[in-house]
Amino acid sequence: MGFAISLAFGAVLVLSWQLRGELRSLQEEPVDSLQWNVTQLELDVVRLEAAVSLAVVQPEASLTEVRKRFDLFFNRAGTVTQGTMFAKLGLLETVRPLKARMQDFLDRTAPLIDGPDSDLRLALPQIVDSVGALRQDMRFMSVQVIDTSAALQDTRRAGLADILQMIAIASVALIALLLALLVLVLGLNRQAVRRANDVQRITSRLEATVGTSLDGVVVAGMDGLVIDFNKAAERIFGYSRAEAIGQSLGTLIVPARHKSAHEAGMARMKATGVKHVVDAGRIRISAVRKSGEEFPVELSIASNEGPEGMIFIAYLRDISDAQQAEAALMAARDEAQAAEATKTNFIAVMSHEMRTPLNGVIAALEIIGRTTLDAKQTRFLGLARNSSKQLLRHVNDVLDISRIDAGFVAVTADRLDLPALLATLVDPLRPAASHKNTQVEVRLLSDFPPLLGDPFRMGQILQNFISNAIKFTDGGTITIEAEVQQITGDQAEVEFRVIDTGIGIDEADQARIFDDFVMVDPSYGRTGEGTGLGLAISRRLARAMEGEVGVESARGAGSCFWLRLPLTVAGEAANARVAPVAEAPPQTGLPAVLPAARALEVLVVEDNETNRIVLEEMLRHLGHRVTLAADGGEGVVLARAHRFDVILMDLSMPLMDGWTAATLIRTDGASAQSRIIAVTAHARPDRMDRFADSGIDSWLTKPLSSRDLATALMPEHAIRNPREVAPRLAGGAAPLLDTDRLEELTKIADPQALGRLLAQFRARMDHIMDSIDAGVSTEPMADLAAMCHEAAGAAGVIGAPQLHERLAVMEAACHASDRAGFLVEQADLRHIWRETWKALAERT
Amino acid sequence: MWTVAPFIQKILLGGSLAVAFALSAGSTRAETMPAPSGEVILTVSGAIGTTNGDGVLTLDSDLFATLPQHSFTTGTIWTDGTATYTGVLLRDVLAAAGATGATVRLTALNDYQIEMPASGALGDGPLLANLSDGQPMPLRDKGPIWLIYPYDTVPGYRTEQTYARSIWQLNRIEVAD
Repeated sequence: MGFAISLAFGAVLVLSWQLRGELRSLQEEPVDSLQWNVTQLELDVVRLEAAVSLAVVQPEASLTEVRKRFDLFFNRAGTVTQGTMFAKLGLLETVRPLKARMQDFLDRTAPLIDGPDSDLRLALPQIVDSVGALRQDMRFMSVQVIDTSAALQDTRRAGLADILQMIAIASVALIALLLALLVLVLGLNRQAVRRANDVQRITSRLEATVGTSLDGVVVAGMDGLVIDFNKAAERIFGYSRAEAIGQSLGTLIVPARHKSAHEAGMARMKATGVKHVVDAGRIRISAVRKSGEEFPVELSIASNEGPEGMIFIAYLRDISDAQQAEAALMAARDEAQAAEATKTNFIAVMSHEMRTPLNGVIAALEIIGRTTLDAKQTRFLGLARNSSKQLLRHVNDVLDISRIDAGFVAVTADRLDLPALLATLVDPLRPAASHKNTQVEVRLLSDFPPLLGDPFRMGQILQNFISNAIKFTDGGTITIEAEVQQITGDQAEVEFRVIDTGIGIDEADQARIFDDFVMVDPSYGRTGEGTGLGLAISRRLARAMEGEVGVESARGAGSCFWLRLPLTVAGEAANARVAPVAEAPPQTGLPAVLPAARALEVLVVEDNETNRIVLEEMLRHLGHRVTLAADGGEGVVLARAHRFDVILMDLSMPLMDGWTAATLIRTDGASAQSRIIAVTAHARPDRMDRFADSGIDSWLTKPLSSRDLATALMPEHAIRNPREVAPRLAGGAAPLLDTDRLEELTKIADPQALGRLLAQFRARMDHIMDSIDAGVSTEPMADLAAMCHEAAGAAGVIGAPQLHERLAVMEAACHASDRAGFLVEQADLRHIWRETWKALAERT
Repeated sequence: MWTVAPFIQKILLGGSLAVAFALSAGSTRAETMPAPSGEVILTVSGAIGTTNGDGVLTLDSDLFATLPQHSFTTGTIWTDGTATYTGVLLRDVLAAAGATGATVRLTALNDYQIEMPASGALGDGPLLANLSDGQPMPLRDKGPIWLIYPYDTVPGYRTEQTYARSIWQLNRIEVAD
């Protein structure tokens, strides 16, 4: 198109130039009219002829006219022969004969004209003839010249017409092309307009999108200056768009303390192109409002190549509210957890409160049973005994649950003798089974390597399974199977199955029987024998041992309850550990009374009169000699005065508690080497370290039964605490950490529970430290003593002897009302605490 | 052609002022032109203020030579090559004659006659040349007076009308109102 147009334009230009030349020649170089000149030439000849003819007939007339006419013709001929007219008209050749003819005439006649009158007059007739001949010839010749000229002019006009025509054609073509170009341009223009509209539409849509975005959108260039700032950003930051645009991001929304980092980041990105924040997804960061208020934002920045270099688009969301909500949620959760802890504590406290009197009731009933009763009394006594034992079981169940939930299940790793364990579980239950005509069988389906596990917890679960099986099976068979399923390295997976041929369980119920308080068989509930917690406890215990329980059953086709446990294969060096005495499985089927191997001298230190009486009765019944002491002080006096084999020490006593009494007994006197067994109503023996420190060998949990007592007093349990008791108030630097204690802790508690324990310990310790600091000169000494006591206890539990000792010294100072001494000891207490925690954190 | 018009118009305008000046000057000065002593080569008649005969102004070569002389070199379409033509400008002749009319009629020996407005006698042309290359022009070669324009130097004079006005063997000028 462009080429065609330039071609057409060129053609028009060339033709126009040609035309201009033609026109110029027409305009600027016209020649004298050919016809006129030829006519004048003829006219002059005719006039000359007339003048000569007249002179011939008037001999006396002047010859002036003849001579003038000759001169005029001469002049005319000269203009024709000399001028450029014919040359310009292209008629030079055509006119040559005419010129020659005229010259011939003039040459011959001029001498006559210029001669004397007489000669001229004589020659006049001759001149008339020659002029006539000339006129005739000229007529013929001039017509020829005019014809040729006309032909030439025609040619020239035709040439001109051709040029004009070509110009017209070229012009039309040019116009057509220009029109086409115009159409093209119009089309392009329309397209451009459409595109501009598209761009406008997209732009306004984008603007609307950005403008209505709930998130703040801030666009900035590579130089960090704001290019765009949407409505939401105005709302979030408090700047208007006009205020924000052109401002540096650093001064506008970046908090002063992050400014240098921001600028360094921008500079780095400019220099290296490495982006840290940009295109990195969502991040949380602080921003600042116009008001200067700093607030948290969630931010994501995208980058894009704009027409003027890299631009950054930041989407910002004010998350102050979200963070507040999150904080509120966390507070709610903490509250809930605190409430849960309170509940657990409440249950633990209730257990204490319930088990102490229950202990009294059971013991009293036992004592009554040994007196002479009539038949009716015996029957009612049996009723009362069963009821109280059931009540105790319920309390224990609930306690178990709360204890497990609180993470205080100490799972031991003792050497297991599985056949023996199963036998001790099953044998006591055989009478109940045969009472219902049910056979009980034990099958060991594989060889068992020496294994480590917690026999008590396993026993608890299996006993629960077996009791249930007996309950729901009449005249059938109960098979107890044990099998090692696989051994990988030192890990063995052992499965126990309790299979009965009883009534079975609906599939629908199978899933929920392990839930709390679920009793599938209404008759079972009606008997009032269970809380529905048995299986729930079993499942919790199994999980505490990283095992699992389950059931396979069908209504009417019996049930198979299984327990699957990962157990450690005991190496040669593995030492058997003895489970705490009181935590031995309750072997209800054993004879109620075991005669003692030999009579022992037993000192009972107990402030509660009921308990004192009960213990005395039980011990006497077992054949031992009993001495009673009503408080710690009395106990110490008696123990120092007389050597006892065993001292049963209540821990919570007014005036002097069991810890102190035990410590004092160990320090001096006749009974310094005696076995001291603590008797505590606390469900959790969580102060084992203090047992060691105060020289207590083992413990018994209230309420006590004769059997528990008998077992505890058996000689094989008489393992003396090997540790020498440190002089309690002697001062001197004890180690920061008790490694044995820590080891023990890591063994008995799972890592999660240990972590919780440590965290709790730290929080509690910090709190007490603060309280001591705050009240060092204002609080009553008794209160300070209580604080120190609590802190010392906690330090002991964790295994921090130095801290424990220091706190104990401070407590003693309080008791002695020695505020100055207290202050001296307190001076570097915090330092010790910090060191202790550091060591603890490193170790665990 | 219209492109030339302003140019001519300018010449014409400038010329008319010059004529106006010349006319006023002439009317006060040249009333006492002596009678010719030699052969008369040009006779000016009609509306004129200066005469030396029977209501006409007659000029011989000598008288003609007393008028302001002017010359230029040019070629013509009637001659070969160029020549230097010398004579008196038409406006100077009219001024000398104290012409007051608006039209001049020029007539040749062969009775060829043209008419032009007095304002046409302007600028460098037309010149009433009586000498060609310094020689008097004979009757047989466009003499004694040829009204001629500087065709070569002024393209505007290369027109058919100007060629038609280029009257040779001129011997009479009549000024009409």
